[in-house]
Amino acid sequence: MMNNNMNSPEQISTNKLEYDVLVIGGGIAGQEASLNLANNGFKVLMVEKDLSIGGKMIHLSKVFPTLDCSACIATPKISETARNPNITIMTYSEVEDIKRNGNGLKAMVIEKPRYVKADLCTGCPICEEKCPVVVEDEYNYGLTGRKAAFIPFDLASPRIAAIDIENCTLCGACERACPPNAIDFSMEKKEFELSVKSVIIATGFELFPAEKKKEYGFGQFKNVIHSMQMDRLLAPTRPFNNVLRPSDGRMPDNIAYVLCTGSRDLSVGNPICSQICCMYSIKQAQLLLGALPMTDVTIYYIDIRAFGKGFDEFYEQGKSMGVEFIKGKIAKIEEKENGNLTLKYEDFENGGKTVEADHDLVVLSVGILPNKDVSGFFKSEPIALDIHQYVKQEDELMSPAKTSIEGVFVAGTSSGPMDIPDSILSAGAASAEAAAFIRSLK
Amino acid sequence: MKEKIGVYICHCGGNISDYVDVEKVRDVVEKEEGVVLSKTTMFACADSAQKEIVNDIKENNLDAIVVASCSPKLHLSTFRNVAERAGLNPYNYVQANIREQCSWAHTDKPKEATEKAIRIVRACVGRVRYSEALEPFTIPAANIALIIGAGVAGMRSAISLADMGTHVYLIEKSHFIGGRVAQMGELFSTDEKGEEIISDLYDEIKKRDKIQLFTGAEVVSVSGSVGDYKAQINIRPRYIVPDCDMNKLKEAIAECKTEIPDEFNFGLTQKKVIYKAYENCRPEIPAIEKDRFNPDQKFLEKYKDCIDLEQKTETLNVNTGTVILSTGFDPYEPEDGEYGYKKAENVITLQQLKRLIELSNGKLEYNNREIKNIVYVYCVGSRQKEGENKYCSRYCCTAAIHAALLCRKKFDSVRGFHLYRDIRTYGKHELLFDEVSRQGDIFFRFNEDESPVVETANGKLQVKFRDILTNNEEVAIEPDLVVLVTGMIPRKDSSTVAGILKTPVGSDKFFNEVHPKLRPVETVIDGMYICGTCQGPKNITESITSSLSAAAKSNSLINKGEIELEPTIIRIDPEACEWCDKCAEICPFDSITKTEYSPDGQKGKTIALVNESTCKGCGMCAPVCPTDAIDIIGYTNNEIESMIDGLIKEV
Repeated sequence: MMNNNMNSPEQISTNKLEYDVLVIGGGIAGQEASLNLANNGFKVLMVEKDLSIGGKMIHLSKVFPTLDCSACIATPKISETARNPNITIMTYSEVEDIKRNGNGLKAMVIEKPRYVKADLCTGCPICEEKCPVVVEDEYNYGLTGRKAAFIPFDLASPRIAAIDIENCTLCGACERACPPNAIDFSMEKKEFELSVKSVIIATGFELFPAEKKKEYGFGQFKNVIHSMQMDRLLAPTRPFNNVLRPSDGRMPDNIAYVLCTGSRDLSVGNPICSQICCMYSIKQAQLLLGALPMTDVTIYYIDIRAFGKGFDEFYEQGKSMGVEFIKGKIAKIEEKENGNLTLKYEDFENGGKTVEADHDLVVLSVGILPNKDVSGFFKSEPIALDIHQYVKQEDELMSPAKTSIEGVFVAGTSSGPMDIPDSILSAGAASAEAAAFIRSLK
Repeated sequence: MKEKIGVYICHCGGNISDYVDVEKVRDVVEKEEGVVLSKTTMFACADSAQKEIVNDIKENNLDAIVVASCSPKLHLSTFRNVAERAGLNPYNYVQANIREQCSWAHTDKPKEATEKAIRIVRACVGRVRYSEALEPFTIPAANIALIIGAGVAGMRSAISLADMGTHVYLIEKSHFIGGRVAQMGELFSTDEKGEEIISDLYDEIKKRDKIQLFTGAEVVSVSGSVGDYKAQINIRPRYIVPDCDMNKLKEAIAECKTEIPDEFNFGLTQKKVIYKAYENCRPEIPAIEKDRFNPDQKFLEKYKDCIDLEQKTETLNVNTGTVILSTGFDPYEPEDGEYGYKKAENVITLQQLKRLIELSNGKLEYNNREIKNIVYVYCVGSRQKEGENKYCSRYCCTAAIHAALLCRKKFDSVRGFHLYRDIRTYGKHELLFDEVSRQGDIFFRFNEDESPVVETANGKLQVKFRDILTNNEEVAIEPDLVVLVTGMIPRKDSSTVAGILKTPVGSDKFFNEVHPKLRPVETVIDGMYICGTCQGPKNITESITSSLSAAAKSNSLINKGEIELEPTIIRIDPEACEWCDKCAEICPFDSITKTEYSPDGQKGKTIALVNESTCKGCGMCAPVCPTDAIDIIGYTNNEIESMIDGLIKEV
């Protein structure tokens, strides 16, 4: 168990925990909800499935429509969360079986072994250096490699190493090299029994797997990447010093964006709009024009959905900077011998003829899908999901954070597509509802 | 004077180090007087870097630190906390902004940017050298919130705050609560009725002792500061005798013949001057539009137990810890002639259509004509090239499509033709768009430079436009009704409210938040929050989400009964002060008054007195003081002069 504020509660040794609120998920929504509750005097346990809190936002480049550097907004919040004396964080842990328990709720929390002793690891890179195993780096969405003994990413919190036991060859190189002897292959998972008064689900979303849209050739054509990979290429913590196309490491000079990849598309089972892709694509296009001034960027769209405060102005700014917008749904992408790509689409604005366009890098603006973990938390008393498998908002208009289970609230993209400002507001709403609910128990 | 100063220069990924040679900055600053440690760091704000700074302070007994990174707006409190965790007074920390003021501003001149960064960091080292250890002071805060506007956002915020233990004054300018949602009829996407939602919220409010609701109430002045605002509220009379016989009042209404346009129905109908907003409105007591009411003496005498035109505006003074603005929006009203509005017959707005649907029974009729075909023109008053309405109004695409579905559901064979620019039924609302298309409504896309023309030709209503989706084909439709899909604009009276509360508005004239992600419901004034559509267009769920968020923020600020305030305010040197009142005159916060000063019990003199809870330490007073009796704590003359020395020193 990670307890960054060094005031570990005593219950930990007995494997029984008691808190006011369990917040599931350490992304921006989980952080905002936890901080509001902690500042209100409630004791919060945040359980994060991943090795670090921070969610998706910490990996983004800049964020629309203000073009703030994402890490600059995310890190203070992460740090504030990690340091708040009322918040305890368990990373690499999962929640199982939330049940009613009198007025409150009971749950099992399982902490998986990271094979590194959190209290000893200093976050130095020596284990990483010694480890001979290289695998795909999931935090860079496969653009680079990482070791089997690794620190998740630079801005991780906690910034300590972990052993990827699936890929580890148990050669022992890291164990021998670790200066504080923090590596311990004998670690086992730990189970905790948790009592809380309220639960906030802030598990976020999953990216649409781009390979599911077969016509676009992701995974098959090297120069077809997805938008989260592009955000990594543009981030201050980017893997390379510039935006390079994967096939030959050349700087692209004619980039295409394919909007609605995996959204508004019954053929892949997701009829709804993902709400964020238009805007992040316009953002990336603007950043690309800055990073690669000679590059052309074309965005193929059905409708441009720039609906939030300052969004339409941001869209207009993109147009005036020279981003080209073409209304047309891409039907198929084909690869040419030189690695360039041919996009086929119906050109609505010029007579609806089928047209081909060549680009040397294609970015698929992938949509978002519900996080399927949620139903696993509630095996005894299932939580109601909507037809898309998002957490159902029982009173969508007047109590948007309310779920089908009393005392359980939902924040951020667990209930549907949302951008960052809306996720933060919904986390605020969930924390207000949880605070009021706990007071009503007294 | 500080003699063991630590300096950290941040790369900010590449945000700073791509343009500023951070190693060079470090090398130069290292040699500054008092600097015993200087380092560069990839992300100073990252958790690991913070730990490192804490360790450095402890190990080296640093007595002051400077972090050269981004704007203090982002990270001042982050690094003050770092100092505090290491046992250093947080005010012995100074932040040097070499990102917004340097690397981002001078991307074309890396050499000069580096030189400027050196000067900025030296100046900050100069300031921290004379920094004093300060303690924030606490002021009592009333656990009370004043919520202005009792639409859905204000009411929901009130209920949430009461449930978290805050006392609430909820005031509504109109005599009836519910705002715009009451007018909307059936709502997307749940098909709940606006009126029923309002009645339910009203019942919830009435259940809570902690909420005091005032209708016909307007805030006329607000003074004081966070934790202790004083608001003056005027409550206009309804001119109805309290607790009168309702049956007799009904008789009076029946007898009263004066009618005026009913703005609740956007002028589609007339109402009596003694009126209720709508049949089931809340509160249920009618009100009188006195200016338009000219009854004879006989009428007044007959109904004197019910009607009292002598009632006067009352004034209510309340103390409150925070203020939440939930004043809502106005629907955009098209200009005369805009898409035929008020010129061609049968051209109405989306809001009027929603009322028309509510008022119709079995048949959709307007101007005595049964409506079978409706043309919807989108983005009227939104996404305009010129003027203030450049923004997208966010809710109208979904609202118009939902209205079209309602028409099809409630009335036989009403067809919709939708003329749009982009259909923005984002998220799950996409299903409504699918549904209306499946039911047979037709969508055409027009170019923003070539707007549709709505006119009456040969006695018939006609809409002409070019459709991008069919090769710019010219299309003409003769509908029975044209609905202008009008969006949201800031309320007409929001500038008055902004004037009273001094809350800033953005270029779109909606109230402005501090930061859309970091502080989305906060204003630049401590303890004043904004939520719902007064901040920008939103649908109902989004309004409620923001109102609950504002409730959470307001509650966590005041629920402890006290608030910590910055100690960086002004200090008067009583020996030097000669009370000339120049400082009091210039102070924008009215924080300076006078007091008697008699240190030795002798006859004293008059000097300036600072109100510590309202002084912001802005420093306006310091330069006008003729006797140099004012120092700004945290920006003392010593600190400023040392900063100047740092800035002008040759690089």
